[in-house]
Amino acid sequence: MTTSENAHEMEKIEIVTDVLIIGGGYTGLKAADSIAGTGYHVILADQKNSDHQARSSLFGLKADFQNQLDELKKAVNGNNNIEFLPDVNINSATGVPGDFTIRLTSNGKDLEKKVGAVVVATDIVSTPLNHIYGLDFSDKIVSLSDFEENLSSADFKEKLCNNKQTVAFLVGFAQNGSPLLMKRILDSVLAISEAGNGATAYVYINDIKVAGNDLERLYKTGRDKGAIYFKLTQLPEISQQSDAPVVSFHDPVVRSDIEVEPDILVLEEAMTPSQINTKLAGILRIDLGPMGFLQTDNVHRFPVNSNREGIYVIGSARDIQDLSEAWTDVENTVIQLKQLLGDGTKEVPKFRAVVDREKCVTCLTCYRCCPHGAIYWDDKAVISPVACQACGICASECPQEAIQITGYTDDELIDQIRNAISDVKNGDPKILAFCCENSALEAGKAAALFHYELPKGLRMIRVPCAGKVDIHYVLSAFIEGADGVMVMACHPGNCKSETGTTFARWRINNAYQMLEETGINKERLEFVTLASNMAPDFAKIAVEMEKRIG
Amino acid sequence: MKEKHIMVMGGGIAGMTAARDLAGFGVNVHLIEKSGFMGGYAIGYTCKATTECLQCGACSVEKALKEVTESPNIKLHLSTTVEAVTSENQKFSAKLKKGPFFIDPEKCNNCGVCYEKSPVKGAVLHGYSKNNHPLYAITAEGIQNHRDFFASVCPEGAISIDAEAATETISVDALIVATGFEPFDPNQKPTYRYAEHANVITGLDMERIKRDHGALVRPSDGQVPEKVAFIQCVGSRDERLGHLWCSRVCCPYALRSAQSIKTQSPEMDITIFYMDIQNIGKDFPAFYEACKNDFRFIRSIPVDIFGEENDRLKLRVFDEAEGTAGLETFDLVVLSIGIMPNPENQAISKLLGIKLDDDGFFAHNDSLNQTLTSQNGIFVAGTASGPNSIPGSMAQAGQAAGEVLKYLGVAQ
Repeated sequence: MTTSENAHEMEKIEIVTDVLIIGGGYTGLKAADSIAGTGYHVILADQKNSDHQARSSLFGLKADFQNQLDELKKAVNGNNNIEFLPDVNINSATGVPGDFTIRLTSNGKDLEKKVGAVVVATDIVSTPLNHIYGLDFSDKIVSLSDFEENLSSADFKEKLCNNKQTVAFLVGFAQNGSPLLMKRILDSVLAISEAGNGATAYVYINDIKVAGNDLERLYKTGRDKGAIYFKLTQLPEISQQSDAPVVSFHDPVVRSDIEVEPDILVLEEAMTPSQINTKLAGILRIDLGPMGFLQTDNVHRFPVNSNREGIYVIGSARDIQDLSEAWTDVENTVIQLKQLLGDGTKEVPKFRAVVDREKCVTCLTCYRCCPHGAIYWDDKAVISPVACQACGICASECPQEAIQITGYTDDELIDQIRNAISDVKNGDPKILAFCCENSALEAGKAAALFHYELPKGLRMIRVPCAGKVDIHYVLSAFIEGADGVMVMACHPGNCKSETGTTFARWRINNAYQMLEETGINKERLEFVTLASNMAPDFAKIAVEMEKRIG
Repeated sequence: MKEKHIMVMGGGIAGMTAARDLAGFGVNVHLIEKSGFMGGYAIGYTCKATTECLQCGACSVEKALKEVTESPNIKLHLSTTVEAVTSENQKFSAKLKKGPFFIDPEKCNNCGVCYEKSPVKGAVLHGYSKNNHPLYAITAEGIQNHRDFFASVCPEGAISIDAEAATETISVDALIVATGFEPFDPNQKPTYRYAEHANVITGLDMERIKRDHGALVRPSDGQVPEKVAFIQCVGSRDERLGHLWCSRVCCPYALRSAQSIKTQSPEMDITIFYMDIQNIGKDFPAFYEACKNDFRFIRSIPVDIFGEENDRLKLRVFDEAEGTAGLETFDLVVLSIGIMPNPENQAISKLLGIKLDDDGFFAHNDSLNQTLTSQNGIFVAGTASGPNSIPGSMAQAGQAAGEVLKYLGVAQ
């Protein structure tokens, strides 16, 4: 049933096409508008706000964006295809793409929603960092958010000018910062200079994060209009005489101490992912990435994918993003949704991964090791044909050998191993390379095409992921007469199935022990990580293996 | 749905991604590439992994190239330029100039004999990826100067020395401009003496060297350098040149490359001259801390590079703590050249009637949607509209594809 012949056999299934969006900030609203515009019914869940410091996702951006946001809100409210749920807590999520069941509470009421896909659009949080500077807020020492709010008042700006006030900013000494934070600083600095003659901005800054749209130009415009930047790698000295802060540092170029007594000292803020992300990651069973964003730094996930099919992470849920980047994410999500949900009927491979229900003892090893969250169970394990990526990690981990991947069954692979080894001419060292089709297989094919020197007795066995390489395959290869065996995986952090490389490495470490016990030289087995564009490295590694065992 | 046709101009990472995404919806895509190879600059970049992936995205380019090559809905037009575009009734008609194709892709089996036996270097060009087909391209000049050689060298009879350019007119419903960027020409900063010193190289040169040698070596003697300097912001953030933009990719490529070559040659002494280090990846604080442990960072951009004996290079180094300048010698200097607008943007803007911004990149019609141009039915993606990384260009290409589908009224 699972041989290559029926690998392409498809079946039609019905799926739910409703989409749940978690997060009612700019990105969530924009996503609701675009996705509903495509014809899908949208449930827009605005979370219960656990981030008490959270403010509008617009962060003091100019008034015309506020208008855009208002218009967007109006459009969403007036759209019959969008169901808005306020004050939501997500309680549980089960099921697979095309058929998720989400239990949530909205305004204290328990609800159950069936959706085909989930889009996470949690907002970013801006938190004061005065504790790191060791300063207390006062009339003269304010947070960036408060200063931005003040700037929106004409009275405040007038006072700045008329009193010829100086405003000093401290940026990049309590954290690395980001282009989005930089944009907020640059906008504030410009607003001070544009308020009229009189007010002066001083910016004490570590690295200026200008890697965003038009930021370098904004930086120059601010300076042209009178803002003064002090670029320092160390925090300047800040003393407080009575209530007034004094900022000073030694300038090595002009060899003197520079002291400023600002009327207002503005402290940078940390822009961090929503704290709710950690909880959502657990409920949705998606990987939590660096800094608490909902996406690992794995190129296979970019731009909007999580490790689970049908669950997308967009905007500030996945990285610190500005509005145009959030918009980019939204449109990418729409494309992905159209491909996943289509018109509600979906063709899926019938036998992508097959569970032998006779053998399965429902130990749920597969459920735990599946990096794509594709496995659930009735009284036996069930693999969702929509969610399954056919990496084969489950098949190799199953203690009952109850799972087979179509086209890569154990019998087929053992046959391939046998044939590959017997195909090598006598005299040439027989080297078998298990190659992940995403990386090493491509590199190996390129090495051959580019005429790099390769061992004559090298044979490649294609696997969907290094995580599919069973220890049994490695041992079989040696039993069948291989002189050397290489297991070639993607670099850690680049595995399409996230943990395939890790599983492969564990198994090879175990295999080393077994080899030692049977007296086979460990040097004959090698675990290698490679990328698809590393043809020269592939050739070098293979030739070195030949030399070592020859 | 009636059959829809799209023209994507530019076969780099943005163009390939947009083409692939559209093809997934059954749209017929003409992917136009002026050079003999798909992939743009990005296909030439090497993997920056140390013992782990550093997320440079170079392998994504390889993957995208494989996908466009295999897609039945994408027609690849290599060595092709767009000569004229007219529009009528929401249809665009594009006149293409194609070829000449000296190698017949049907007959060529990529054996490489023409490349290996070529009488002069540069007459036969070699693609970077196994997914480039043909893997080789012969220049018109090469054919002209070595007609007899090329007439007889190919064992498959795939080379026709008398091939001529042809024209083809295609009709499309919308188009995407993904014509990419131009790397900054370091000769515009003559005090770096790029043309004079073999061991002053650009980031792109570094990629080529790593590709050819499997490691970073000095062009002058092929030896692994002991002391290497990276100079950031070459051509970017340069008021004097009127370049008021950060190229966004140079801090990432310099530091990732530095990590990758340091893994290969742990003894190497690496100094980074910079103005401001930009964020790299999602885990930047941790990555930057690791870099600070491994490399010396000097916040000052050297102005001059002088030659020394042994092809070594002397830089004026500013000591920020002391406020003094001194001279220091390096074995190799890598100039982190930035992303400049494609010099053809002006012509393309005229051809299509779309606007450029003050910097010479394609302008966006909406500050929040960077894929809309000043013309209905014409979209832009990738570095054609400003500096961007590989993942950034891919995301924008996906967005452009989405906008095209909306424009065409392609539903689910």
